Amino acid sequence: MSRGSGGGYDRHITIFSPEGRLFQVEYAFKAVKAAAVTSIGVRGKDSVCVVTQKKVPDKLLDQTSVTHLFPITKYLGLLATGMTADARTLVQQARNEAAEFRFRYGYEMPVDVLSKWIADKSQVYTQHAYMRPLGVVAMVLGIDDEKGAQLYKCDPAGHFYGHKATSAGLKEQEAINFLEKKMKNDPALSYDETVQTAISALQSVLQEDFKATEIEVGVVRAENPVFRVLSTEEIDEHLTAISERD
Amino acid sequence: MGDSQYSFSLTTFSPSGKLVQIEHALTAVGSGQTSLGIKASNGVVIATEKKLPSILVDEASVQKIQSLTPNIGVVYSGMGPDFRVLVRKSRKQAEQYHMLYKEQIPVTQLVRETAAVMQEFTQSGGVRPFGVSLLVAGYDDKGPQLYQVDPSGSYFSWKASAMGKNVSNAKTFLEKRYTDDVELEDAIHTAILTLKEGFEGQISGKNIEIATIGPKRIFKVLTPAEIDDYLAEVE
Repeated sequence: MSRGSGGGYDRHITIFSPEGRLFQVEYAFKAVKAAAVTSIGVRGKDSVCVVTQKKVPDKLLDQTSVTHLFPITKYLGLLATGMTADARTLVQQARNEAAEFRFRYGYEMPVDVLSKWIADKSQVYTQHAYMRPLGVVAMVLGIDDEKGAQLYKCDPAGHFYGHKATSAGLKEQEAINFLEKKMKNDPALSYDETVQTAISALQSVLQEDFKATEIEVGVVRAENPVFRVLSTEEIDEHLTAISERD
Repeated sequence: MGDSQYSFSLTTFSPSGKLVQIEHALTAVGSGQTSLGIKASNGVVIATEKKLPSILVDEASVQKIQSLTPNIGVVYSGMGPDFRVLVRKSRKQAEQYHMLYKEQIPVTQLVRETAAVMQEFTQSGGVRPFGVSLLVAGYDDKGPQLYQVDPSGSYFSWKASAMGKNVSNAKTFLEKRYTDDVELEDAIHTAILTLKEGFEGQISGKNIEIATIGPKRIFKVLTPAEIDDYLAEVE
């Protein structure tokens, strides 16, 4: 019988462990959780909303510079959960790729094409020893010309799926349980319902009521397919609507 | 691309002469979702489980079975992201052949080139083997063909084969039911029954994928509705 892990490097670089696992990829997932932030994305009938916590670790920091929500093009948004530096690299590359796509092919890069590109790049890091996987889970949102509202999630392993709703980060599993119950019968959520489902899911899972400055919300709507980050006033309106509803 | 610090192979021989990284890759395949293929007298059918991590995933956005050319398709067991890389490379190789010779690439040649890529990653510097086994189904001038390619890059032609979690039960089931003159329609039923054997939960058109290629040489992935029809026939 061969000797265990052949040098013990299976934990340091992305080679297989004896059980056929990639420890570096699994550790990358742990790094996403270590950022201690939870994010949620919900796809409605003709809109998509993503929400994440806005944790500003120091009062002296400029709050406007602390963000995990990035426009990739005018029409595509990306919510990055995990290591901020890795997120910025990913966003930079995604922006470049989307711009080149538009130049090369003459039409906007669709959501699923960008998500596949991100996932394929992540796969390369899981197979080549010279680069480690990124500690980021990316949620990509946009309105597709043919398929309508789209929400995709890409992870460090290189997987990507379209989602009706999803979550990433520290309380990922609790949020998914919550969302599975809400979305069980495939409800066709309106724009307001989509935003409020996302925010109330986050509140329920973290068991706290937020102020508008403590969360970031990004949306795309079929009637105005531009990716938009909601202002504090708009977030407040939704928070009020949620608390009045309960 | 390719840091010079890693210009040595990560897959090296153990004292007993084994390439352990390949063995571990095969373990990764063995813990993947079951997939299978059956070669009939007039076509080939391939199928796989499609178990998604949550009901929140939009199953229409996921397609595990992919076509490489209009008359060749492929399914996998193991790591999805690795599979996408191989699909992309194979499609490019098929297209390059077509551009050069102005005819469709024969199934054996496409399989050979894909297998060569997989072998490269067991020997090149700084990379790990692919964590997938492929079942390639095609129909060309030599008739219907089914090949299985493993992470090591070795490939064989099969009359019927299975891979993934339930491989031993599935292969036993297939051995019992396979006949050399089975027709495509019967092969589809056999494929469904084989998947059903090890399936946890309720099987439906939404949690399995089936694709066929018949004498018209067109590789086609069945819609969930068509799968449900076959499931009803099997009942």
